[in-house]
Amino acid sequence: MKTRRTAETVERDLGKFFRAKGRMPTYSEMMKLFGVRSKSAVHFWIRKLLDGGRLKKDDRGFLRLVNRPFFFPLVGEVPAGFPSPAEEELRDILSFDEYLVNRPEASFLLRVRGDSMTGEGIKAGDLVIVERGREPRNGDVIVAEVDGEWTMKYFRKKGADVTLEAANPAYPPVRPREELRVAGVVTAVIRKYHR
Amino acid sequence: MTDLIFSLRSWPRAILHLDGDAFFTSCEEAIHPELRGRPLITGGERGIVACASYAAKKLGVKRGVPLHEAKRICPGLIVLPSDYETYSLFSRRMFQIMRRYTPQVEEYSIDEAFADLTGLRRASRASYEKIAAAMRETIRKEMGITVTAGLSVTKVLAKVASKHRKPDGFTAIPGRDIPRYLAGLPLEAVWGIGHATANHLLKLGARTALDFARLPEYRVRKNLTKPGVEIWRELRGESVYPVVSEAKSTYASISKTKTFAPSTGDGEYLFAQLLRNVESACIKARRYHLAPRRIALFLKTDTFAVAGLEARLIRPSSHPLELAGISREIFDALYRPGQRYRATGVILLELMENRNVQLSLFEDPLRIEKVERLYEAADRLSEKYGKHALHLGGSHLIDRLGKGKRGEPTVRESTRLFGETERKHLGLPVLHVDV
Repeated sequence: MKTRRTAETVERDLGKFFRAKGRMPTYSEMMKLFGVRSKSAVHFWIRKLLDGGRLKKDDRGFLRLVNRPFFFPLVGEVPAGFPSPAEEELRDILSFDEYLVNRPEASFLLRVRGDSMTGEGIKAGDLVIVERGREPRNGDVIVAEVDGEWTMKYFRKKGADVTLEAANPAYPPVRPREELRVAGVVTAVIRKYHR
Repeated sequence: MTDLIFSLRSWPRAILHLDGDAFFTSCEEAIHPELRGRPLITGGERGIVACASYAAKKLGVKRGVPLHEAKRICPGLIVLPSDYETYSLFSRRMFQIMRRYTPQVEEYSIDEAFADLTGLRRASRASYEKIAAAMRETIRKEMGITVTAGLSVTKVLAKVASKHRKPDGFTAIPGRDIPRYLAGLPLEAVWGIGHATANHLLKLGARTALDFARLPEYRVRKNLTKPGVEIWRELRGESVYPVVSEAKSTYASISKTKTFAPSTGDGEYLFAQLLRNVESACIKARRYHLAPRRIALFLKTDTFAVAGLEARLIRPSSHPLELAGISREIFDALYRPGQRYRATGVILLELMENRNVQLSLFEDPLRIEKVERLYEAADRLSEKYGKHALHLGGSHLIDRLGKGKRGEPTVRESTRLFGETERKHLGLPVLHVDV
């Protein structure tokens, strides 16, 4: 049975390709992928996704998916109905440990007490996984000691200029005056509701 | 005559010894950054200094000193109870990081390990010194603690090297430089040479490790036992002891001791402690499919006097239920009312494979079978709910009174993360930072 081509199916096809190959397809690969017979038809669909905000061009003009395709599908993709158990067994199981902790030797747990990152969805009582020895990148949430005070903030870097920014308007951005010691980068947040 | 050459080649083997610097307190400093650099000791629950941080050492606090004396020497001393849960997590990480560089890692103790690097220079595109430096740097960066490394051609010499410059140090003793490091090294500083051997060697005219290494072979063989000869060979740069990377698969004996502070005169609590040690030792024995033929129990008074007794079992058993009766009898013989005690302990001896155990004539095989099945179930319950989930009534007092009454709980013990139980905790160390 042939399914109707829609922006959704096209986006899903692109996601599938990206997952399998780790890159975006070329226009001629897209012809095959979407099942169309010309590059102008491909262009038509790409235009549609670009206008719909599902696809973006990066600064070099390459296409990027806006919704990053999930890398580890745990259950097979099925158009309708339930996944068959056989299909589930085809995939390796990724434990939550492996999923949440990239580098087990360098990771620590931290229970959040303050409200400086509520805008990022990190509340008091949440557990965060902090990875030590990782170079913080612009926009990372980090745990650091600034002029003798411990804090969890966004790491913002412009040239040599470092600012720590809270995700809560109650806290002004902090610019380390004397010393900034980064304890680690937050790599995951865990909140459990029921035992 | 220090120009005597033991080895012509610099690296016939490359063995690294890694030693955590003030390991327990360093772990504490890593998870409590506010304690970094402050005078700090662990061992609060035992009443003596188990590990002193370098800041505390500088002020004169040494390992093994009673707490009250340590506090007198250093009034601002921070005393923490030992948090073995965190220390073993750190320990495991240290070994894991070492294994990134070589599969041949021997876990020697909680804070020490050997690694055999022989032949890895080309594969790693680095000198042995560089590999050691990379290991130390990774541990510092990812774990937040410092380690000292010694690199040499044998295990004994690698230990000499790691002792040479501490903390956060690195010393390499290539084959040609052996005499330089052994000159002036007191004999008792050598791994495996104790007080008695040192005195014995003194009579042979060896005052330092170098003197010992230079003794002629016939004199060494005539006067020393096998281990002595082996140390002599290792000191001369001839590798005798291999780096054993397999985990221990069997034991000659298993012992469990627990010290508590303050000391107690309460007989029932003491017996509960003793029984809990028996249970812990039995869990370990069952894990290795072993059962003891003999069992020894001891009590230690607050004046450090030890009283102990042992018993021979009619049949090897690693089931506390079957050992409880004899434990009680021994305990009653050892315990003096009115006396205060600081520790209890158990040693399981003459361990043997617990398969095909010969039953004795006067026992009910059905009952034995039942107990066996009971402990199979108990072990499965422990897997699910944590160690000692099912325990003897006699040791239950510990769970009821807790360690809280007798000793301060560790920060980790008093931090119950949502969803954790008392017996099961998440497997990552918890950073105690207020953010």
